[in-house]
This record gives sequence, structure tokens and C-alpha cells, in this order.
Amino acid sequence: MGALTRERDVREAYAAHSGELYGFAVRSLGDAGLAEEAVQETFLRAWRAGERFDPEIGSLRTWLFAILRNVVIDLGRARAARPRVAEGGVEPSVEPLEQALLAWQVEEAMRRIGEDHRRVLLETHFRARPYAEVAEELGVPEGTIKSRVYYGLRALRVVLEEMGYED
Amino acid sequence: MRTEDHRDWKLSLGAYALGDLPADERAAVAAHLEGCEECRAELRSLEGVAALLPLADPDRIEAPAARPPADLGARIEAQIAAESAREGRVRRRRRFRLGVGGAVAAAAVAAVLAIAILPLGGGESSPAQEVKFASLPKGVSIDATLEPHAFGTEIEMYVSGVRSGTLCRVFLRDAQGRTYSAGSFRYRWGENSQARLSSALDLSQAKQIGVHAGNRTFTAPVDRATALVGGADIGAT
Repeated sequence: MGALTRERDVREAYAAHSGELYGFAVRSLGDAGLAEEAVQETFLRAWRAGERFDPEIGSLRTWLFAILRNVVIDLGRARAARPRVAEGGVEPSVEPLEQALLAWQVEEAMRRIGEDHRRVLLETHFRARPYAEVAEELGVPEGTIKSRVYYGLRALRVVLEEMGYED
Repeated sequence: MRTEDHRDWKLSLGAYALGDLPADERAAVAAHLEGCEECRAELRSLEGVAALLPLADPDRIEAPAARPPADLGARIEAQIAAESAREGRVRRRRRFRLGVGGAVAAAAVAAVLAIAILPLGGGESSPAQEVKFASLPKGVSIDATLEPHAFGTEIEMYVSGVRSGTLCRVFLRDAQGRTYSAGSFRYRWGENSQARLSSALDLSQAKQIGVHAGNRTFTAPVDRATALVGGADIGAT
């Protein structure tokens, strides 16, 4: 697909990428309504600037994420500018955007790897449960848990690379 | 060390990279790494990913992925379609100008105007037309965009290169050769503004568009078959 100049191009781009864009928007804005607004604005901006999109330079996905990133910043600013009524408690800490994007990518990549791998990584690493306990729960040898951790990490790396991650 | 052993060491590297191995196993793997370049390389590739994991929130991973509302795509499309209809003319024209540019650079001036046309019977709306006048004197450029509306036709005319102050009278002709005055404007050197007027004449009725400019007349066919049409100078009417 070349420049994003036809309405059909936008429809195709939406079908391919809206899920991810929305996922990140929710993650970074913490609000479904705002996320919706952000995705809508992203595709409108993409459409308006469609002639500038050059697939030779980068993928459509990367381009859309770059636009969304700016939209999220704009929405964040607009929200910050709104006067706050007196509230008890502490202001929720706002994750820096780059970090939110990275975190979201890791979470998204975790969702995309195989169920067996994800399960084992979640239980052993994120929830710090002993390998033996998890092995028993899943009814597999402990060695299998270890190998699933290994292949799970490798799978995660592949998915992250597909998403544009480089180390 | 044999392939089987090596494979075992390798499988431990995931847990090692994550820092999840018990101390004794960890020490054993570290000792193996000392002498195994292949495992060191493998470890490096896992460590980058392992370092990212603390960013992720396990509850978020397990929560069902957020999906946009089912109608969001349709709403975006509708908004783009509306914007496209509103801005389409400008968008098309911008692209169009690029092709016309060079020849008229000397008289880099433009008057864009919209002309009202007398009402005639309505009809079904047809696609917007871009009309390029051909066979013009050197340096002169004329083109027009005709856009159908429920209420009639909107015309934008883009003229450049004629003498400043020239009176231009625009008209449309229907299939029967009847001429409908569309109003007049005076071409001003150095002007480049856009004005739009509306007319009740349906675009589907128009067969030809013309401009009397000073003592000359230029016309171009309005042809629904193509988006861009060559015109002809038919001389004074």
C-alpha cells in the first residue's frame, strides 16, 4: 500500500491496526473514552497527512503509532490543563509516555506468545512461585517448566522484534 | 561437551537471564558460561528481553485485551467521508495545480472564484468535475472544479496569466446549447483568494463551461466520463 490517500486505505489501516492502537491508548490514557477519542484523532490525522506517508521509510504501523503518540501527548496536556476540583488522596502517578509504550508492548507481546509459555512466565517470574510448585500444578516435570521459560523468553523476543523492538 | 548436555545448559539460560535460578544452579550455569561462547551469545539475546519484563504488569497481561467499540471504525469513516467531501475540492486542486504550474510561473497570479448559475430543473447529482481548459494562449491557465450539491452546482474557477483588470464572464451551456450566465469577476493581478458561490443548476445538466475574458472566449466540455478534461478555444461567441 502506498500513501494513505483513499478512504479505502484508511479502512484497511483501521482493520489492521486499530486493535493495537486502541490497546496502547487505553494503557497510556487509562480511560476508554479518551482512548477512543485518541484512536479517532489518529486516523483523522493520518488521513489528512496521507500523502506524506511513505512505505519506503517505515511501516504503516510505525507511522500510526508515531501519530498516536503525539495525540496522546496532546490529550494528556488538555487533560492536565483542566482545573481539578478538590480531591482527597494522591494524584495517580503518570507513567512517562515512552515507558508506557514500552510496557504496553511487553504486555502485548506476552499476550501473543503461546498460552503454555505465558502461563509459566507469569507464575514463575511475575508471581515468583517455585518451579516445583508450578510443575505440580500443571502436571509436568520441573524440567519442562525450565524449558518453557527458555522458549517463552525466545518467543517473546521474536514477537517484540516484530513489533519493532531492537536491543 | 556433547549436544545433549549443551541443550540442557541452554534451557537453563532463560531462568538464568531472569535471575530465577537457585544459587547452586546459578553457579553451575555461570561456570559453564565461562567456557561456552555459544551460550554467552544466547544469554545476551535473552537478557535484553528479560530486562524489559519488569515493565509489564501481570494483571494487565491476563486482562482481556481492550477492544475498540465495534462502531468506532464506522464513525471514523463517516468523519473522513464528511471531511473528504468538504475538503476534497481543495485537496484535488492542490494536486492539480502542480501539473499546471510551470507555464504560468511568470504570471504567478490566480483568481479563484465561484460563480452562481441561474436555476434550472434539478436532477440526480453526479460526481465532481475537474475541467482543464486547453488551447489557451501561452501563459494563460484556466481550470475549474464543478461540484454537485443537493441544491445545485458549486463552481470554482482558477484563472491565471490574463491581463490584470480583465473582466471575465462565466457561463455554462446545456445539451441544447442554451447559455446560462454564471456571473462575472474581474481578474486582479496578484490575487489568490478563494470564493465560493452556489447555484441551483444541477451539474448533470451542464455540457460545457466557458469564460468570456476580455474579447476572447474559452470553453471546455463538462464530461462526466473523466475527472479531468481537455477543453478547446472556440473563439468568440
